[in-house]
Amino acid sequence: MNKPGNPLVVENLHLQYGDNPILKGVSMTLEPGEVVALLGASGSGKTTLLRSVAGLEQPSRGRIAIGDAVLFDSAAGIDVPVEKRNLGLVFQSYALWPHRTVFENVAYGLRLRNVAAGEVGDRVTQALTNLGLGALADRLPHQLSGGQQQRVAIARALVYNPPVVLMDEPLSNLDAKLREEARAWLRELIVRLGLSALVVTHDQTEAMAMSDKILLLNFGQIEQQGTPEDMYNRPHTQFTAEFMGSNNRLPGTVTEIAADRALLEGDGFRLWGKPRGKIAVGDRATGIIRLERMRTARDPGENRIPAELVTAMFMGDRSEHLFKLGSLRLRGYGTDTHAAGAGFLELPPDDLWVFATPA
Amino acid sequence: MTSRALSLPRSTVVALTAVAVLAPVLLIFWQSFLNAPFFNPAHKFGLASYAFIFDDPDFWSALFNSVVIATGMAVIALPLGAALAFLLTRTDLPWQRTIEVLVLVPVFVSPMVLAFGYVVAMGPVGFYSLWAKDIVGDVPWNVYSLFSIAVIAGLTHVPHVYLYSSAALKSLGSDVEEAARVAGANPLQVALNVSLPMTMPALLYAAVLVFFLGFELFGLPLVLGDPEGHLVLATYLYKLTNKLGTPSYHLMAAVAVCIIAVTFPLVLLQRWLLKTAGKYVSVKGKATRQKMLPLGGWKWVALLVVALWLAFTIVVPISGIALRAFVEQWGEGIKLADVLTLENFRQVFDQSDQVRAVVNTFLIGTLGGALAVGCYAAIGLAGHRQHGAVARILDYLVLIPRAVPGLLAGLAFLWLFLFVPGLKELRNTIFSVWLAYSVVWLAYGLRLISGALLQIAPELEESARTVGAAPSRVLKDVTLPLIRFGLLASWLLVFMIFEREYSTGVYLLGQGTEVIGSMLVSLWGAGAIDQVAALSLINIGLVAAGLAVALRFGVRLHE
Repeated sequence: MNKPGNPLVVENLHLQYGDNPILKGVSMTLEPGEVVALLGASGSGKTTLLRSVAGLEQPSRGRIAIGDAVLFDSAAGIDVPVEKRNLGLVFQSYALWPHRTVFENVAYGLRLRNVAAGEVGDRVTQALTNLGLGALADRLPHQLSGGQQQRVAIARALVYNPPVVLMDEPLSNLDAKLREEARAWLRELIVRLGLSALVVTHDQTEAMAMSDKILLLNFGQIEQQGTPEDMYNRPHTQFTAEFMGSNNRLPGTVTEIAADRALLEGDGFRLWGKPRGKIAVGDRATGIIRLERMRTARDPGENRIPAELVTAMFMGDRSEHLFKLGSLRLRGYGTDTHAAGAGFLELPPDDLWVFATPA
Repeated sequence: MTSRALSLPRSTVVALTAVAVLAPVLLIFWQSFLNAPFFNPAHKFGLASYAFIFDDPDFWSALFNSVVIATGMAVIALPLGAALAFLLTRTDLPWQRTIEVLVLVPVFVSPMVLAFGYVVAMGPVGFYSLWAKDIVGDVPWNVYSLFSIAVIAGLTHVPHVYLYSSAALKSLGSDVEEAARVAGANPLQVALNVSLPMTMPALLYAAVLVFFLGFELFGLPLVLGDPEGHLVLATYLYKLTNKLGTPSYHLMAAVAVCIIAVTFPLVLLQRWLLKTAGKYVSVKGKATRQKMLPLGGWKWVALLVVALWLAFTIVVPISGIALRAFVEQWGEGIKLADVLTLENFRQVFDQSDQVRAVVNTFLIGTLGGALAVGCYAAIGLAGHRQHGAVARILDYLVLIPRAVPGLLAGLAFLWLFLFVPGLKELRNTIFSVWLAYSVVWLAYGLRLISGALLQIAPELEESARTVGAAPSRVLKDVTLPLIRFGLLASWLLVFMIFEREYSTGVYLLGQGTEVIGSMLVSLWGAGAIDQVAALSLINIGLVAAGLAVALRFGVRLHE
């Protein structure tokens, strides 16, 4: 019913369980050939949004459409049943049917679409080959490793060419080591096959690595959406800034505002930063700076604060240092020799974002 | 999955279930408020029946006996069942696998058969009694006293407690016990301070269950209580049939309502306990393979106690029946070798009604069992992944037959077949017995089905939906293939339960509706001991065959 080449559009989607609102008016667009990540903490509504698109949850209000084909529209009373939506869904647990072979798991969607037997064979074999599963067609799911099961689940969701593939935490069931490889493999697959995909994840690194666009959800609302680079480097809110990377937080008060600069004063520090969002002199505010933007220095200077090195943690590719400034604990990356001799930390004003604390 | 419009098959199943469950119960209530049987045109509404039974001292003594026996059963079965569960799940007691199977035997043997077994083995002239008399000069026990009935009922209900407490102990992660050991507790302290409190909800549930079963008790007090005239509520009701010389349905209905007034709150209590027990499940730890507690020399003591219990609850009654089935007569001064015979079985197979009873019992277990599992599966699937009204209605519907003991259910179905025009023809077919059996065991059957359905993760069905399968296709291609083994296992268990059932068929017994269970009650009443013994042994054989097949296929004998 829906063909590739149309965007998936979600408009003002609301959903609640009893009195508990899960989605509070979410809107988004997924262009053809694009990968969008739904990012958020647990309970943010990201999986519910995905399941609503699939038709497995029933929203109370809103509209979901792919091009002209309306999947859900509360105003028009449209709610297309799951099986008629022609979407692909990769489950977090993979949900392979244990009583069917790999081949039969993948072939099921084609058989339901009354594809001729010969073509089913060709297309399943093609899909399995694409995913590097050619030799495993006759195995049963329990005879496969976790990584192989994941590939079967993906093959099963792709084989009938759905306009959009939905993926619910596709990597979370894999070992940490395997996950990084699978991430690269999955991104390559998506690019190679030109897929449109909506991917749920709670891991911001995964979201940034895999997607063209990120939707950050916070308690059923979109906090911010944009390209990974946008989200990481130009967060609109403190929540986004804190969610997207590893940070130091400096609570204080804004005492002065100059052109594109705000002066943040707190317990033992007085630093110029970059205001994000509306802010005024006298506001309570929090300074946020990414760990990798911290600099160490031997001498005092502009935007430098005296700090004492507490300990260094060797991480392999780098070291993480913990500094003490009064009651504050600040972390930064660097080499040990640098840090040991340093008496000062430099927080470049462009990298220190200042967010007003909501009253 | 979200619930959308209620489909036609689903609402049909719910409606049929509601009729099958509610019609007999409503009939009982209605009849209890009449002053004469409903088919008597002169009947009037009123509380006359209640007034009659409340005025009858026999009713009060039956109620008293029921409470005494039920309490006694709980007091005896609870500590023994819990200890047995601990021994079999947490210690290195020898021959655990064998004992685990033997423990369940009393659950599957008909109480009527067991009771008869105690009479012929330990009654005043029973085999063991006479042998004991030869040795000590007197029979040192009296199985007909109220105390003995409570002890026998208690000991034969140990498996019920064992089942629930061992399930709780098995699901209790060993890490919480190991944590106590590391903190400095010895094995006994671990058992008393950690394992016992954490399995308390299950034990409490088992206690209520045993008390409830004690209230329903019919076969044991019917056989063992008769000689000294000890009545319990169910046997009081049974004897009422002839109290006034005419069918006194209105009085029986009033007693039935009194029994349900006790059992229904107990069922609700069990349900509530089961729900609260759930909160302990959430704190359970990881179930890793744990080291069994070494009993050392105590293991032989423990084994002896378990063996004594098994001897008393299984060996004594069943050997008694087996012997009695092959002797012409038995009494003082008779030598066993002189009276051995196959005559009892020849008699059974000479009587067309008894042959029919054997055939019907086999058919109701096999075909009837399959049909019942089919119905249970339909009901289970109607409520599957439903969270709205359907699930709640089914949930409560299932509770009702649980609270109605088989004897009453059989009575209610008899009335239903007499009362509803068009059903009269079915009354004299085995269908009437099958329907009553299926409704009586509805809760049990549904628990088996939902156990199988719970094994299916929702994603397995959701993924079929997203791939493009309509709900009916999902049922055919995913759900049913995945519960196939569960359905087969349910069939075997329902077979054994249907072979064992006796009280439900009592009032439905007629030409064409004979089953071994109700036949035993009737023959016992007529004093035909020889044929009771032979039929009992045949019944045990049928159950044993089912048990053997179940064990062969690795069916879990309890949920």
